[in-house]
Amino acid sequence: METKYFGQISFEPDSELEFPSGLPGFDSRRRFVAVRFAESDPLIYLQSMEDPDLCFITMPILAVDPLYKLKLSGEDLDQLGLPQARQPPIGEDVLCLTVLSVRETGPTANLLAPIVVNLRNRRAVQAVAPESEYSHQFVLMPQEASVCS
Amino acid sequence: MLVMSRRQGETILIGDDIEIVIAHIGRSRVKVGIRAPRQMPVVAREMKLVREENLAAAGAAASDLPRLVARLHR
Repeated sequence: METKYFGQISFEPDSELEFPSGLPGFDSRRRFVAVRFAESDPLIYLQSMEDPDLCFITMPILAVDPLYKLKLSGEDLDQLGLPQARQPPIGEDVLCLTVLSVRETGPTANLLAPIVVNLRNRRAVQAVAPESEYSHQFVLMPQEASVCS
Repeated sequence: MLVMSRRQGETILIGDDIEIVIAHIGRSRVKVGIRAPRQMPVVAREMKLVREENLAAAGAAASDLPRLVARLHR
């Protein structure tokens, strides 16, 4: 597969993710591969399989905010194939990533709209929370990475 | 900002072709009906923020990566 940052790479089939309705701004991009390298830990790259020039830089949301509370809408739970009855615990049933932006003032994390992956079926959504206490441009401080395991 | 009081079922007009109906008032949320021309995008504000943020995030360059990684490991 051709990638934005790493040239040609091969990947395990189980690292392929399907976003049934794309991501806001990229509605037609449905298939991504999660790529991770030891030297850039805790970063996880989401490389589009359909557009080599599209790659999101993400990291586990709990590494940014260990107390992060997921609030998925019924629609998002549906898309992920998860039961409506409860919010899925991060790390057990679902992987929860935050998309990073690189700004002149430093990196920020979008905590308003986490990317949630159902680890059982590899389906993913970018869950847009109603305007909540979480910022879409949360400033990443250097020490935030140290809590990542 | 113009602030208007409306009851359930009442409507606000914006210009000639936008109609906003207060469809239902619940305990902590209201349902709002919006009638607008097809070409006029209507989205919740957070959806616009996320779209813009995704476009910004996708604009990162390969040259940003070493600095980002260094920042996270400092």
